[in-house]
Amino acid sequence: MRQLHNAMRAALAAAAVMFAATSGAPAQPARGAAAEAAPKEDAVAVAGKERIEVDVSSRSVAVTSSFNGTEIIVFGTVENSQQASAESGFYDVVVIVEGTLSPIVARKKSNVGGLWVNTSSIRFASLPTYYAIASTRPVDELAEPDVRDAHAIGFSHVPMNIASKALASGISAEEAQNFRDAIVRLKRKEGLYVSSDYGVAFIGRSLFRATIELPANVPVGPVKARVYLIRNGAVLSEATTSVSLSRQGFELLMYNFAHRQPLLYGLFCVSLAVGAGLLASTLFRKAGAH
Amino acid sequence: MNFYLPIAEMSVNIFVFLGMGAAVGFLSGMFGVGGGFLMTPLLIFSGIPSAVAVGTEAAQIVASSVSGAIAQYRRKNVDIKLGVLLLAGGIVGSYLGVEVVKILRRMGQFDLVLSLAYVSFLGGIGTLMLIESLNTIRKSRSGVAVSSRKPGQHSWIHGLPFKMRFHRSKLYISAIPPIVIGAFVGFLGGVMGVGGGFIMIPAMIYLLRVPTNVVVGTSLFQITFVTAVTTVLHATQNYTVDIVLALLLMIGGVIGAQFGTVAGEKLKGEQLRFLLAALVLLVCLRLGWDLVVRPNELYSLSSLAGGH
Repeated sequence: MRQLHNAMRAALAAAAVMFAATSGAPAQPARGAAAEAAPKEDAVAVAGKERIEVDVSSRSVAVTSSFNGTEIIVFGTVENSQQASAESGFYDVVVIVEGTLSPIVARKKSNVGGLWVNTSSIRFASLPTYYAIASTRPVDELAEPDVRDAHAIGFSHVPMNIASKALASGISAEEAQNFRDAIVRLKRKEGLYVSSDYGVAFIGRSLFRATIELPANVPVGPVKARVYLIRNGAVLSEATTSVSLSRQGFELLMYNFAHRQPLLYGLFCVSLAVGAGLLASTLFRKAGAH
Repeated sequence: MNFYLPIAEMSVNIFVFLGMGAAVGFLSGMFGVGGGFLMTPLLIFSGIPSAVAVGTEAAQIVASSVSGAIAQYRRKNVDIKLGVLLLAGGIVGSYLGVEVVKILRRMGQFDLVLSLAYVSFLGGIGTLMLIESLNTIRKSRSGVAVSSRKPGQHSWIHGLPFKMRFHRSKLYISAIPPIVIGAFVGFLGGVMGVGGGFIMIPAMIYLLRVPTNVVVGTSLFQITFVTAVTTVLHATQNYTVDIVLALLLMIGGVIGAQFGTVAGEKLKGEQLRFLLAALVLLVCLRLGWDLVVRPNELYSLSSLAGGH
């Protein structure tokens, strides 16, 4: 059973590699991104130096009326792979998918005269609205904290920039850390920060893939994927790719209407309400007459 | 069946919100109230951001009150002159209310103020109604004839300047109290996402001594226009009117209201008021509970209000 499974995986891998190789046009930007991320390696392109190239299963995701979350597959290959088989565990791969950065305010309640009231708050100038991390094994096993720090790998390294105003008002480091922890906790509860410790799998010597869930409440905007190839705790290569998540059809129409023509939109809502009220009263008066 | 709400930016089950609209519509048809005070808290409990709940509920109240207002107008139960004064105050109040929502959202205190407003108004009115209905029930059981209130006693309100004659209400009073009452109700509507009938009707009866037959029609006239203005203001100031959500609630609401009206006709007035008072107090307790009990999670997140 297990062998059969592996055989199927290998076949899948071969197909995916062919796909990546033959469909030149869609793979181009990913190659460009990989080269951009590691220009030095390009210059000293010696045989045997590993490099990764990555792409995603769909470059654009449409948020329509029926949008109820979706999943994307981040896949890539290791050039000059030196591992013997998919199961050897020679390399580790970390895939991080981040949503748009947006400012956010975190607040903390405390008891004031018997009532639970928001008393302190920190404004974060930018915070990823969505953050998914998948790896070949738990991230704290595959690299030391300083390496993870340097590459913003893991929940404790999610980039959170406290607004300068908040810093000036003298918030202690400990308090700020409590707020950071709370943000991760709340975001995980909302399903917007997700981790999958064994979510990246090698399918053959060089091909790997990770399935990333985009939940129904994922904020609309561009989504970036960063992929790291790690060997013995050191990052060998990194590459990026992206997915655009955009409203389409009715959702786009209504969102733009509400935000670009708010007065007209408000009047439209009111006339719809008046229409609905009148329609209902005439319909039911007729029905009631019988 | 799920639908992605364009403004609330979340995927919701259509039937949950149709059902919610129908349930509140049933109760509002049964008790003859707008139902905003029930719908807004329900929307918030079900995960709709509170500002979107308030903005969207205003649109729904327009739909539920417009047909009533027209029916009352045809029966000549609307005092237009009085209604216009209430409306003028209402628009100013609503504008202030929406501005206050904007400021409170930025300060992170909107949810607190909303809960406090609901707890105090629902608690006060629920208690008064409960006492009144219990007294009436006890009196009618002991066989004492229930006397209606004596109209026409002069009060301090009659000493105010700018007196006007209101033909349909058969009143000669100052223009100031209707404007102030209208403004107060409009303000509450802007902040709490309610029509405000539960404040305006007693105020018109007890403070202005408006005849009962004109009160309901005139209050519906005012509510229809003020909530329409409130809807537009929320749409332009806060971008918090979700048209899809409003439509779901309207459809459920109008259907539920038809059945509620039938059910309401089978109950006595004081029984209805007792049940309504119990319902109002339940909502009040539920909201009050969250304020006084230590929450499991002390932290909360909010994106920046009106960040455009």
